[in-house]
Amino acid sequence: MKNIFFLFFFIFLTCFSTNVFSAASDQVDTSSDDFETSQVEDEIYDPFEPINRAIFSFNNVADRIVLEPIAKGYKKLPSPLQTGISNFLSNLRAPLVVLNQVLQGQGENAFQTTGRFFVNSTVGIFGLIDVAEKMGLEEKEEDFGQTLATWGVGDGFYVVLPLFGPSNVRDTTGMIMTMMTDPINAYVVSEGEAWIVPMRTAANAVDQRSKIIDEVNALRDNSLDYYAAVRSSYYQNRNAAINNIDDSELTPLPLISIEFE
Amino acid sequence: MKIFRFLFLLIIVFNGNKLFADEPSSWLKNEIDKILISYQSSDLPNENRFLMIEQTINNNFAGTGIAKFVVGEAWNKASNDIKKEYVKNFKRHLALNIASMMQGYSDQKYELSKSSLDTKSNIILIDMEIFSNTGSVVVTWRVKESKGRYFVIDLIVADISLVVTKRSEFNSMLKSVNYNLSEFNKILYNQNNESYQKIIN
Repeated sequence: MKNIFFLFFFIFLTCFSTNVFSAASDQVDTSSDDFETSQVEDEIYDPFEPINRAIFSFNNVADRIVLEPIAKGYKKLPSPLQTGISNFLSNLRAPLVVLNQVLQGQGENAFQTTGRFFVNSTVGIFGLIDVAEKMGLEEKEEDFGQTLATWGVGDGFYVVLPLFGPSNVRDTTGMIMTMMTDPINAYVVSEGEAWIVPMRTAANAVDQRSKIIDEVNALRDNSLDYYAAVRSSYYQNRNAAINNIDDSELTPLPLISIEFE
Repeated sequence: MKIFRFLFLLIIVFNGNKLFADEPSSWLKNEIDKILISYQSSDLPNENRFLMIEQTINNNFAGTGIAKFVVGEAWNKASNDIKKEYVKNFKRHLALNIASMMQGYSDQKYELSKSSLDTKSNIILIDMEIFSNTGSVVVTWRVKESKGRYFVIDLIVADISLVVTKRSEFNSMLKSVNYNLSEFNKILYNQNNESYQKIIN
């Protein structure tokens, strides 16, 4: 009797411990209203949605036909070469990053980025090698759109720019300011080599696109509404950049319940 | 002899009970490995591979909770049968999304670099750093513990939350069908079939 009792007790504990009893996945039958208490913004101000969708479709075709194949080709280059190109392009952005960090009152970051620029431009052979990273000088990106946001300028409405992709009024203004004030662009134009400016923009686009080939394809292949998914992704990504907070802390935590039958 | 039995029992209990034995990170690593290994088994037919991944995702994601969250108020208006059908469709949709994303990471090395607890919401945040030849990308897994088990409630890639993005995307589509979950189910079902064909071919 004792042995039988022990056997049942043993089976019970073993089943319990290996989650046999709790192994059922979450089920439908509860009436929690978690979603109503969420702080997530569902609506993005997009008054020109039909026009934006048309431009988005055009961009999507351009991406499939031109940018994605080039980015895939670029990915086939030897990785030190890719890293070198990426570092070089990033280093060219540094002067404007410093300016924006100063404008946002980020003295320490501006000091670090200045250090990065000088170290990488010299020891790092014109920025091809990111020596500064190894010295603990971390790369941080800031642009005029972020600066305007820090100064309290609102997003404005959502806009999809031909070839440049998702943006909003504030970030488009920031982009124009970047084009007008970039010292590297100003220098090459003054030297009569204006063709370098669009080449640099294209190189940046290919470099950035090559880093997100799988993610974009996963989103594109599995979205019910790819336009809305990209729009939401753009806002989340920009909000994270503006607030300079760790991604896991920033994005609102959805109040999602675990439900059992 | 009794002491031996007792010790044996204790080992079995503590070894099996995830709450005691599995730290969230090692649990997550185990589940991620299951998915990645299925991609690395080249002799496995694509249909079977996806079924394995779908099962892993369904067992470890808070599918129903996420499903409710992403359709917002359309949930309240629907009947129980419609809700059940929607949850079934959503779970497949979620599996297709995760499988598609993980496919891109299948030949890359990764490590779970950081784990922390958000004390406000009691949610565990686990950073997964995926290394490629030219750099790395961080995926943050949001995990919730319930009844001794862990469930993934969200994924963050490049500051973008999968769940928040899905909610926005679903909201846009629901608007076009006047927040009718039954109509939405048809769209979701068709999209799932389309995505499934892409993933198995």
